[in-house]
Amino acid sequence: MQLADAPPHLSARGISKRFGGVQALRGVDFEVARGEVMALVGDNGAGKSTLMKILAGAHGADAGEFLLDGKPVSIDSPRDAVSLGIQVVYQDLALCGNLDVAANLSLGSEPVKEGWAFLPRILRPLDDLAMEIEARRAIEKLEVRTLRSVRAKVGGLSGGQRQAIAIARAVGGDSTVLLLDEPTAALGVAQTRQVLDVVKRLRETNHAVVYISHNMRDVFEVSDRICVLRHGGNVATWRASETSPDEIVLAMTSGMERSGRNAS
Amino acid sequence: MRPDAPPSPLDRFRALLDTRLGSFLPVLFALAAIWLYFGLARPMFDVAVGTEDEFRSIFLSPRNIHNLFMQSAVIATLAVGITVALLLGEIDLSAAATAGVCAALLGVLVLAGIPGWIACLTVIAVGVVMGTAQGLLVAYVGIPSFVVTLAGLLGYQGLMQKILPTGNLNVGDPFVRGFARVLIPDFWGVVLGLGCVAAYAYFAFRKRARRAALGLERESAVALWGQVLAFSTIVLAVILTLNAYRSLPLLLVLLVGITALLGWVTTSTPFGRSLFAAGGNAESARRAGFKVRRVRAAAFGVVGMMAAVGGIFGASRYGSVSYTAFAGGSLLLEAIGAAVIGGTSLFGGRGSVWNAILGALVIGSLGNGLDLTGASAADKLMVSGAILILAVAIDALTRPEAAGG
Repeated sequence: MQLADAPPHLSARGISKRFGGVQALRGVDFEVARGEVMALVGDNGAGKSTLMKILAGAHGADAGEFLLDGKPVSIDSPRDAVSLGIQVVYQDLALCGNLDVAANLSLGSEPVKEGWAFLPRILRPLDDLAMEIEARRAIEKLEVRTLRSVRAKVGGLSGGQRQAIAIARAVGGDSTVLLLDEPTAALGVAQTRQVLDVVKRLRETNHAVVYISHNMRDVFEVSDRICVLRHGGNVATWRASETSPDEIVLAMTSGMERSGRNAS
Repeated sequence: MRPDAPPSPLDRFRALLDTRLGSFLPVLFALAAIWLYFGLARPMFDVAVGTEDEFRSIFLSPRNIHNLFMQSAVIATLAVGITVALLLGEIDLSAAATAGVCAALLGVLVLAGIPGWIACLTVIAVGVVMGTAQGLLVAYVGIPSFVVTLAGLLGYQGLMQKILPTGNLNVGDPFVRGFARVLIPDFWGVVLGLGCVAAYAYFAFRKRARRAALGLERESAVALWGQVLAFSTIVLAVILTLNAYRSLPLLLVLLVGITALLGWVTTSTPFGRSLFAAGGNAESARRAGFKVRRVRAAAFGVVGMMAAVGGIFGASRYGSVSYTAFAGGSLLLEAIGAAVIGGTSLFGGRGSVWNAILGALVIGSLGNGLDLTGASAADKLMVSGAILILAVAIDALTRPEAAGG
């Protein structure tokens, strides 16, 4: 039953994963389309994080297949995932607090000036102006309005701003799929609002966004569809506009099958 | 998550230290205080209580300043190297012992008739190998650098004793002695200084113009002129003071040159960026694609290189190599102290090689000033300890609580 307006950009079929004696995922189906925010919810131990790590290539799946725009692909390593345009923002954000915003956004892929070919790349002069322009472009694209300067040290920013910068870094390059792991977990009200605005911007920039969260209010505010996992298996997928937080919570906790309203 | 309260004085202080010039302020303040005390307050006190008939500032005489710079140069060379390890959040306790081994090897090589320049290049290569070997153990075996370099300290001390069974060797090679003996003629010293100031101003304003052309935020012209003025004042004051006694020694020019090169590498290249990134958050740096292990090993190689250069400079200045002057003496703690007093964080990710030179001047000035006032070795140790604690306390207080992100 295909109710999504757009065809899925990334889909995973029958994903299973076992850790020792624990069957973390048993034949899970999952998909996300471009320009869509797909929430992934479930109780602790439901398999959300495992599924996310498999999509990111951090874990290999024991069984199952991946399709990108309908074509079968393999995701066996983080490098595979990145080359397919899949980026993750983990909860710890992986930013360097002692560096400024521009440096963090280009971390690991710093532009260097031309004309220094006699030096190994690692010793060529950084093109910090290009870095700054690129950073400003990325920040403006996500409309992070509270950020005053891309030369501010990340360590001095608010939690919401840091989350936005981590997202901006993941968006940079050619990524099309963004996996966000509990992006608002440690944030206050105003900060959460800022991050949710950024997530909504990602939908407008035609990214496929996977949004993992415990917070029903946030989930219902940003997501188009909601996929519920329980005990490592699918419960169902709903359109956010056609369900309610109570129904989702019930599905998370007791796994009631509502096949009639299933939107996957 | 931080409440939007007005910034506390500590926050403001932190923000100030985060700027490139602001990070020099504490150490410059310490240096000024020490110089004022030994150069003005102490002589005035002596006149007031009648121990001296007239006001004489021996400390601030050109001759003493010259000695002070030369005394601090070896400490500064090692401190610059140690700063690179500190940026990664690592420490190198073996730097002085490495310098000792390299100096001893240098003495033996030139005694055997090997030309000075070949001997110098050889010991620099040896220093790099000695440092990198420890770096490989830290990076790939995963032993804490404190332990690896403590073992290195002991091992290299022993190695130095093996190379120099008598514990002492005179170095008379004219090439090696030349570093400390060759003086830049007064006129050319001033030309060199003016050239540096002109280059500084040119690059600062060219960068500002480029930023303006690209529509990026930029500093005000007044602030930039202020920087150029401050820079030129310091450069010319140093050169003219040195000229007033003897002239600018080649050794100091080389030290500043090497520091400038390392300063550029650590702030303006992908390698330097990886140093700061790994020092700030090693896991983030690894995930961003930096080869953190290689960077770590290379950083210790740089420490080894600077230790070897320090060994050469020491041998050149003293005209001899002795166990107590390097491996067995206070050089190591002075060098680490200089790096930390300069403002480089022991926690990694914050600091600069230039600060290490100022820190070395603080340590050197303390020693020199206390010597002049007839303080005992015990007093010197205690004052140095107090200054070091003060510097580390400032470091700990200004450390951002959330180092990660």
